Amino acid sequence: MPASDALRLDEGAATRPRFPLLPWLGSLVGSSETGLKASHFRRPWLAAGLVAPQLLILLFFFFIPTWKALSLAFVQVDPFGGTMIFVGLDNFTTLFSSPEYRDSAVLTLWFTTVQCVATLLVAGLLAFATDQVMRGKAIYKGVILLPYAIAPAISGVLWAFLFNPTVGPLAHMLHDLGFAWDPNRRPFDALLLVSVAAVWKHICYDYIFLVAAFLAVPASVIEAGAIDGARPVRRFLTITLPMAAPTIFFLIVMNFVYGLFETFGIIDTITHGGPAGSTNTLVYKVYQDGFRQLDLGSSAAQSVVLMAIAILFTVLQFRAVERKVNYQV
Amino acid sequence: MASTYVKSVAGLLAAGALLMGATGAAAAERVKIEWWYAISGKLGETVQQLISDFNKSQDKYEVVGTHKGNYEETMAAMVAAYRVNQQPAILQSAERGFMTMLNSGAIIPADELMAKQGYKIDWNDFVKPVAGFYIVNGKPAALPFNSSTPILWYNADAFKAAGFDAPADTWQDLEKQLYALKEKKVTDCPMALPGDYQWSLIENYSAINDQPFGTKANGYAGLDTEFVYNKTSVVGQVARLKKWIDDGVLKIAGQGVSPISLYTSGTCASIINSTASHSAVEADAKFKWSAAVMPHEEGVQPKNSTIGGAALWAIKGKPEEVQAGVAAFFNYVAQPNVQEWWSKSTGYVPVTNAAYAKMKQEGYFKDHPTREIAIEQLSRGEPNDNSRGFRFGNHNQATAILLEEMQAVWTGKKTPQEALDSSVKRGNEILRQYEKLHAGK
Repeated sequence: MPASDALRLDEGAATRPRFPLLPWLGSLVGSSETGLKASHFRRPWLAAGLVAPQLLILLFFFFIPTWKALSLAFVQVDPFGGTMIFVGLDNFTTLFSSPEYRDSAVLTLWFTTVQCVATLLVAGLLAFATDQVMRGKAIYKGVILLPYAIAPAISGVLWAFLFNPTVGPLAHMLHDLGFAWDPNRRPFDALLLVSVAAVWKHICYDYIFLVAAFLAVPASVIEAGAIDGARPVRRFLTITLPMAAPTIFFLIVMNFVYGLFETFGIIDTITHGGPAGSTNTLVYKVYQDGFRQLDLGSSAAQSVVLMAIAILFTVLQFRAVERKVNYQV
Repeated sequence: MASTYVKSVAGLLAAGALLMGATGAAAAERVKIEWWYAISGKLGETVQQLISDFNKSQDKYEVVGTHKGNYEETMAAMVAAYRVNQQPAILQSAERGFMTMLNSGAIIPADELMAKQGYKIDWNDFVKPVAGFYIVNGKPAALPFNSSTPILWYNADAFKAAGFDAPADTWQDLEKQLYALKEKKVTDCPMALPGDYQWSLIENYSAINDQPFGTKANGYAGLDTEFVYNKTSVVGQVARLKKWIDDGVLKIAGQGVSPISLYTSGTCASIINSTASHSAVEADAKFKWSAAVMPHEEGVQPKNSTIGGAALWAIKGKPEEVQAGVAAFFNYVAQPNVQEWWSKSTGYVPVTNAAYAKMKQEGYFKDHPTREIAIEQLSRGEPNDNSRGFRFGNHNQATAILLEEMQAVWTGKKTPQEALDSSVKRGNEILRQYEKLHAGK
């Protein structure tokens, strides 16, 4: 039964090879509609059918959770939902006056920025070197891409064990070198460990994009530079890098998103947000307060704040993409 | 083509009907009782053994046990499930979550369930420290299941090598011994810090040394209780632990390594950990291991320690026949021979006097002297307001805050006094929030 339905849908799509976008969708995205022709379907049920899966996903993974978060952010509730007291903005005022939350916000900013810059730098260096590697290029690329195949939780456990001050072999090496390495007691060590693990996990992602971007630079331009006497580093800095700017901007955004939201597994396995909250990022704190401590009101308020940040971020990104970065390579 | 489809569809339908019939028949025979539990490793295997023994002992009910992570994770899973009516019939919840469960409105008190289903359990037979915690106003709220208390585990070989027969009774003398272990280069790690040290080294420390942890008899006398452990000898205790950590005498296991494995592997010469570690120690420790009662402060007459571990809660919202099954399972668990088997295979203390007497009579404790330490420590002296136990609303939450503040001490961000002040202040906010939500309960 479903097979024949799918067949009809396919036919419909085949006879109308236009953009499957409703006009209002274009207006939602705002200025990004340039280049897209407004088009519409004569049979609205087909359009609705095509959009439905996406809308369903949005409904279950965005609208319903958002509604839940908003409805919990203004109440205090016992975990089982037996008692609920409306407290207005109390959850938010408590949150913003709490030094722990401010610390977490500062930490998150620091962590995501460092992680973003470090990942880009290392990945850029490795991508630049790709062209210079003569032998074993496949192995070189393979080794760099490997970490991406490892689940965050597993890589987290590995890092935690390797650098465990009591039993970890790499920690013992650091001790032998004279470093008082101890991520359980030294907040900086913990933060460093989490940052390095996060960067290590994400380098490969940036690397793939950068290699592709560098390859896309026309050979003729580079050759012209070479004839004019520019050495590889100079050619890289003055030709390749500016031409890869759109990709780099894209990666900056992706790194920020990764640092903000996807380092959860690494933090959970390496430090649990400790010691003394020194690696407790905003996202991890939502989890800690909501699912460990069952303080659903505060946790919901924090998610609302995070959602506001995410929305702000998206708007900024769209504006910047429109104005600052030149895509016409 | 079409006919093959018809045939295969018909075949599938027939197979489906058969399958449905089969499961339908099985369901008619046995009522499924879902149980979420939180203990893992060797203890988890013993739980599965208990379940399969129960299932074999009768043919009306089938208990299905699911491990839902540690106590906090199991509680979180329960909360999420309860809100969408997908809760299990039985939940294993730690002593820390006692008040949260008690006032949740999601449970059926154990005595009510048992009386309704026609079982007689002699609640007076539960050993005093266990009964004192789980029985509220003469009524047991949950079935005490795995009860433990922290004891001092030590490596007898290492202590011998440093010239000691056994660990000292007081913190002051123990300190000298641990430093000697380090100075004589017997070990680089005289003691490991347990993961739940707030339970052993702060809460139980308070009980044993007769210090109040909170007002209102540690929460027994009302929801308007306040924490006061920043004004007791806990401050000195935390300062001592900090000094030990700084001097490398006490080691933090950290993520990726369980503290008890530092002891069983021989890396650290001692640890203050639950008596339930017996199953792990007996299986893994390859040295001459032993245990002793927890130390106390010099010049203090030590009181009883308090219980940890968990109880089984009957959860509301299940059909009558499932509730009957829960009662049957509770009744099975409370049998002296099951209690005895459970205690022997895990290291948890026997929770009924009958089981304890039976084990004693058999001479079990003569062959396994460390198994009796916990019971003796739990029943030492007459429990008073400071040592009866801890009944604080949302104690999980206050505990997480205490641990975070303790980490601030270990890292040197705060002095012990500053950290404890802050922990008490933040903890009291949680108590007030809980009081507000549960006023009149």
